[in-house]
Amino acid sequence: MGEGQGNRNRKNDLILLAAVVLAGLALTAVYFASRTEAADPAALTVVVRQDGEVTAAYPLSQDGSYLIESEEGTNRLVIEDGAACIEDADCPDRLCVKQGKIRYAGDSLICLPHSLVVEITGSDELALDGVTK
Amino acid sequence: MKRILCALLSLCLLTGCAYSVGGGTDASEADPEAGTSSTEYLEAMDTYMTLTAYGSHREEALEAACAEIRRLEALLSTGSDSSEVYALNQSGSGVLSDDTAALLEYALDLYDSTGGAFDITVYPLMELWGFTTQDYQVPAADALQSTLALVGADRLTYDSDTQTLTLGEGQAIDFGGIAKGYTSQQVMELFLEAGVTSAMVSLGGNIHCLGTKPDGSLWRIGIQDPAGAEGEIAAIVSVTDQAVITSGGYQRYFEDEDTGETYHHIIDPATGYPAKSGLSSVSIVTGDGTLGDGLSTALYIMGLEEATAYWRAHSTLFQAILIDDDGAIYVTEGIADAVTADAGFTVLTAE
Repeated sequence: MGEGQGNRNRKNDLILLAAVVLAGLALTAVYFASRTEAADPAALTVVVRQDGEVTAAYPLSQDGSYLIESEEGTNRLVIEDGAACIEDADCPDRLCVKQGKIRYAGDSLICLPHSLVVEITGSDELALDGVTK
Repeated sequence: MKRILCALLSLCLLTGCAYSVGGGTDASEADPEAGTSSTEYLEAMDTYMTLTAYGSHREEALEAACAEIRRLEALLSTGSDSSEVYALNQSGSGVLSDDTAALLEYALDLYDSTGGAFDITVYPLMELWGFTTQDYQVPAADALQSTLALVGADRLTYDSDTQTLTLGEGQAIDFGGIAKGYTSQQVMELFLEAGVTSAMVSLGGNIHCLGTKPDGSLWRIGIQDPAGAEGEIAAIVSVTDQAVITSGGYQRYFEDEDTGETYHHIIDPATGYPAKSGLSSVSIVTGDGTLGDGLSTALYIMGLEEATAYWRAHSTLFQAILIDDDGAIYVTEGIADAVTADAGFTVLTAE
């Protein structure tokens, strides 16, 4: 082996080392970005299910007020500023209203008397599986 | 040089694994329905609950879980005149069923270890403030003092051989501070017995997870921002096989119309008034739901300094996320790597 060959090897090693370090830095950057990035309402959908069947779906990023009707009664679904809530309902316990606002994928509002589930879904991998309150 | 590169590469690969948050392997068992879930919603124990289980045994597991929740509710309710606890509070004495005996022994242990911060005999104070009926009032000082005199789990007499409990004069008990944690613990055991290895339940905001998610990744649990709108979170903790249970003054409170002052439902058994410890929420992460439920209340009452000391003395049993009145977040070092918070946080170390 000549001197030049050894130098070339060392040069290749250095390039590889730099590549590895850069890849590591990129991974780290992606990781930290994903850690702190807030859930993006544009990627999320508010899905309305009655008796287990999907009856409506609205983007969480679009403000709106919707009357959800069934034989059992009515609920007023309001989507505002990236959060969804049941603003009013004619069910006896009104627990669905008391559940307040939801804003993350996986979170849901339930009205048992009306067999209604309002759930936020999305392919968002930052989704939460639950919220402890 | 080659060796260094190899070391660097493997280091990157290793940390690469850690980056994939879940870090676990795919639970590729024979169950073709491993990734299929069912969810039950129910109202029980004065709150609403969601139970989600995965795999081919999910339906019978959920059925068993719901039946168990109903059974425990019927046993422990303070308001239902057919419950064991109601009968105890009425008669002042009784022989406990196995579940109630287990809860009582838990409650007495917690009372001792927390220096009285967790106390099931605080119930007469809860009644006085109206938290049991939602007929809220700020008690007069003399009424508060005379009721406070009734409080103290050290005045309970319990014979563990005969499972006989006798209350002190004027005392009443309520397992509400640990009932949901005990229930989620029982549910996890029922899930396992039914052959379920992946599940998550929320009993009124008390989260308890079994195993990992079906794809092997961790459960991501948001922690309600005590100062934010409902559903806004202050931090996220990733867990497997753990309960995540939070207590905060924002959960239940009323405002005095005359003074405009708010009073929350976590009564300090030492003063008879809502705890003012400087903390706005305490979340406990532990494999033991009953412990987590009791400690979330006790550490909230203790405040940051005393809670930190308590954790240092019991750090093998639980971890905690504490948020103070200014919104500063403190995380015990055992779960520091599993917590993310936009606002950042301070790690509490063992020393």
